[in-house]
Amino acid sequence: MQTLGLAVEHYVFLAGVIFTLGAIGFLVRRNVLVQLMCIELMLNAVNLLLVAFNRVYPANMAGQIFAFFIIAVAAAEAAVGLAIVLAFYRLKGTVMSDEGDSLKL
Amino acid sequence: MNQVGSLFFALMAGLSLLGAVGTISARNPIRSAMGLLLTIVGIAGLFLRLNAQFMGAIQLIVYAGAVVVLFVFVVMLLGPDASKVPSGPARGWAARAFAGVLMAVFAFGGGALVLGARDSLTFFKPVAPEHGSVEVVGRELFTKMLVPFELATALLIVAVVGAIAVARGHVEQKGKAKPAKLAPQSLFHGPLHPRDAGHPLVKERA
Amino acid sequence: MEALLSLFPKDDLTLLAFIVLLPLVGAVVNGIFGKRLGREAVTLMGLTAVGGAFLLSVASFLILFEAQHESERAVRLIWRGWEWMKLTGQGGAPVTLTVALSVDALSGTMALVVTGVGFLIHLYSWKYMEEDPGYHRFFAYLNLFIFSMLVLILGDSLPVLFVGWEGVGLCSYLLIGFWFDGEANASAGKKAFITNRIGDFGLLVAMGLMLRNVGSLDWTGLEQGRGNLMEGMQIIQQISWLGMKSPVVVNTATLVGLALFLGCAGKSAQLPLYVWLPDAMAGPTPVSALIHAATMVTAGVYLVCRLSFIFVLSPAAMIVVAFVGAATALLAASIAFAQNDIKKVLAYSTVSQLGYMFLGVGVGAFTAGFFHVITHAFFKACLFLGAGSVIHAMHARIHDTDTSQDMRFMGGLRKYLPITFLTFAASWAAIVGFPGTSGFFSKDAILLSAFSSSIVPPQTAVSAPGGPMDVFLWPTWAGSVLYAMGLAGAVMTAFYMTRLLIGIFFGDFRGWKIVKGWKEPAAAHDHDHHHAHETPGPSMKGPTPHESPWQMWVPLAILGALALVAGLVNAHLIGIHLFDHWLAPVFATASEGVKTKEELAEMPFLGAAVAAFAVGVGGAYWVYVIQKGAPAKALAEGSPGFYALVRDKWRIDELYEETFIGAVDSLAEIAVVFDKWVVDGIIARVTAFVISLGGTILRAAQTGRVQAYAFTMVLGLGGIGWFFVAPQTTYRLRPDDRNGQYTVSLTPGAGYTYKWDETGDGKWDDKGFGDKRELKFSLDPDKTQKVRFQVRNGFGRVRTGELLVHRPKVDKSGADPAAMEAVTPEMKAAAEKAGMKVAPKGQVHP
Repeated sequence: MQTLGLAVEHYVFLAGVIFTLGAIGFLVRRNVLVQLMCIELMLNAVNLLLVAFNRVYPANMAGQIFAFFIIAVAAAEAAVGLAIVLAFYRLKGTVMSDEGDSLKL
Repeated sequence: MNQVGSLFFALMAGLSLLGAVGTISARNPIRSAMGLLLTIVGIAGLFLRLNAQFMGAIQLIVYAGAVVVLFVFVVMLLGPDASKVPSGPARGWAARAFAGVLMAVFAFGGGALVLGARDSLTFFKPVAPEHGSVEVVGRELFTKMLVPFELATALLIVAVVGAIAVARGHVEQKGKAKPAKLAPQSLFHGPLHPRDAGHPLVKERA
Repeated sequence: MEALLSLFPKDDLTLLAFIVLLPLVGAVVNGIFGKRLGREAVTLMGLTAVGGAFLLSVASFLILFEAQHESERAVRLIWRGWEWMKLTGQGGAPVTLTVALSVDALSGTMALVVTGVGFLIHLYSWKYMEEDPGYHRFFAYLNLFIFSMLVLILGDSLPVLFVGWEGVGLCSYLLIGFWFDGEANASAGKKAFITNRIGDFGLLVAMGLMLRNVGSLDWTGLEQGRGNLMEGMQIIQQISWLGMKSPVVVNTATLVGLALFLGCAGKSAQLPLYVWLPDAMAGPTPVSALIHAATMVTAGVYLVCRLSFIFVLSPAAMIVVAFVGAATALLAASIAFAQNDIKKVLAYSTVSQLGYMFLGVGVGAFTAGFFHVITHAFFKACLFLGAGSVIHAMHARIHDTDTSQDMRFMGGLRKYLPITFLTFAASWAAIVGFPGTSGFFSKDAILLSAFSSSIVPPQTAVSAPGGPMDVFLWPTWAGSVLYAMGLAGAVMTAFYMTRLLIGIFFGDFRGWKIVKGWKEPAAAHDHDHHHAHETPGPSMKGPTPHESPWQMWVPLAILGALALVAGLVNAHLIGIHLFDHWLAPVFATASEGVKTKEELAEMPFLGAAVAAFAVGVGGAYWVYVIQKGAPAKALAEGSPGFYALVRDKWRIDELYEETFIGAVDSLAEIAVVFDKWVVDGIIARVTAFVISLGGTILRAAQTGRVQAYAFTMVLGLGGIGWFFVAPQTTYRLRPDDRNGQYTVSLTPGAGYTYKWDETGDGKWDDKGFGDKRELKFSLDPDKTQKVRFQVRNGFGRVRTGELLVHRPKVDKSGADPAAMEAVTPEMKAAAEKAGMKVAPKGQVHP
């Protein structure tokens, strides 16, 4: 246990668990706001993986740079997603995702 | 030193796991947002452990400082409606059980994989202390990655404009009449070509 | 001149590209931006483009003149653009097609006429089309037409010419149907297009044959390799049960000539494809003048002149050309007798004159035929534009297209349209062959040649390998018959053109009768005054027919003057042979195949021509002026059936309608039944059922819940993850059966390590996994060895595979490798095949 956090596998495991939690949250929660948060969880797990692997191959900074861009895109996604939530709320009067079935036949 | 580092890792990993569980299990969206904050802080800590100081800072500033605040803001804006469950059948036990099974499969599958590789862990090699510093990442960003970087700024601007356009909703413009709604069958109005009369697939519509 | 030459060197005359490009630019600008540019800009653009092209044509003509003057032989100045495509000729020889333009005496002259007359007609259209809402569209089409026509003329090879050929066809279609809201106009456009397609088919066949036999499609290559066309070609196989004892073999040159002529007959409205041209008069009158009289329809004659050296190879094809031309001239002239629509009369006159041109080139008088193309361009353009001016005047009160073109309602217009009358009369003089006018000289030259010239089989035909296929000799009576037909046509032309002139310009104006209340102002003044209280509202008396603005009469005047004097460049009567000398080098090769009767007195022929003119004009004067049309009326009433037949154009259209179009329609009706009951009834219903069934099933998956969709995504994600987690590998075996060396290599992967068992005995070569990705080993003949291997990925997951390697038995005759060299290739191939059989490659089967 002396070396906890010094092998990439630890991070892979941790990221896998966080990603799975996010995915399950997205699947079981019906509140669009929470679903968006779950997406953020998954993105964070991926970021963690990228940075951890960047630590394995330190000569190349691609992992960190990639994570940087993911953070930028996640910020944009959160802004647009929350705007959509507001519009959805205005339309349906609720933020439950299974109410948004207008496209169903 | 390693003792401290291992302790730090365990703390941060536990923090982020706790946060993740809180995010998906809290009934109140505000609590979910707090759970997300916890996860983000934990992961930022892990970034530090991974010699990625700059990324840790960015993680805190962007996620904790902006995204979570935005979430909280929207939750506040919606008020009690944000957690109101509409009438209708509640989610059945089957779905919950399925989610649990999925969690178990993923978690234990992943764990088994990692444990299988226990003998051959890929340990980090030492790196220069400036690895992951603002200077190194910044140099990379503004030299090799300049074009994607600029594109990312364009993306952010588009996202902001789009968010405003979506969130402000429809504004009725003065002097412009709403387009009349087309009844679906009106698309096929008009007289039939004589050759098509009596055609098995064509029916004349009044 | 020096400046011109220094700007455009003769060996690569870029000037030609500019000539072609200018109208294209005009067309593009007017077509795309015309609506926003406004009328003034459109006019400026259109006129400048064509005017510029005319000036550049003059420049190229000067350069050519200088070059031909220096070298004393046929000169062709070429601009080579870019490589277009590579084709395969006979025997697999590559044929490179280049987009190239060239100018020689023939094309240079033609380009001058097209751009010159084209510019005048653009000028005319300025005012004629002024009120039309499609003004910019009209100019875009006209410019596009000039572009296509210039490509046709200046193209250096048949494919380039064909591009222009199709381009003018397209423009013709667009302009005939210019007022496309009328059903008749649209169908006239379609008729022209479809009829032309039949001709284009012939042109394509001819191109294919030439590519096959000559292996070149540019003018120089065709002229040099034309001898290869003298070769027999079997067109019908031997059919014994039909009593055909031997297959039908004809000369390829004859086939090429006839196929080319089919193309020319389509474009130049000859029998049997002439029917589209009279209907094409549905387009605006400047279009009739430019495209359907002066330029496009003469493209066929131009093509025969261009490829004269190929046509003269086949006397049979040439006699067909000559007789079709003469017959068309007679038939069209006979129809023109009974037409009242002035544009229809002119249209049939055009068909008839085109027949004359083909008569000329058919007997080998290429210069005379081409000369008639040019004089005809002047006088027929002038006649059409004059007709347009008359119609324009009639539009003062009549807005019905048919009535405003009907000469029964005209008459006496000489008083109102003095300039139009003068120019119309000048062109009339030219077309009826008034001595001294341009038409007189060109028509006379054709008639003289028709009598005296004939085509002789070329010398090469006799000595061609395999013997001559059709040594067709012109019958001795051919010349006399052709001459008689031509002369009869001349009399008829003089008659109906005089009838037209009298009907429009002489006598009293009959227009007052059509529109109720349209009175001649002077005569009606008292009348109106008297009944003033009875005609409230706008007065019905009216604007009289009036002369057109200068933009319309200036082109008329120029063309009329040219119609009178242009003949002087080749007035044989007074010993001027300028045009002959200018074109002689171009037709030098072709003239070897033309035989002319020597020592022919020209005077009797001149006398006959003048007599034909006098009889025609005099007869018409007697019938329509002295007798006031009584004999014509008596004839029409005496035999109404015959009159109706002529008036209905011999009912040729109806014949085509009943036969060809009817046959196609019946086919279409059968197809409709099939479509209705089989395709739509059975196939479509079965398909619709299957699709709807699938839809019903799939609809269940569309729950409308985001989570359900996301769940399928997660499942897929899990699958992909599993794929990445398990090691994936294939092996590849590189056998060398002869030396017994074998190499097995495994596909690489991220973090993969390998373990080998070379002998297959269950014991691994190394204890742990290593980086060795390839295994090399040797094997004795007729031995089989099992190889096992393991792959491990970064997650520690392992996959095992094995393969059997067999080395085939070496042939008994050659036990050692050195002897294998002596083995025949067939045996070697068989050995390799056997080796491949036992050494397959593929997925590992663990």
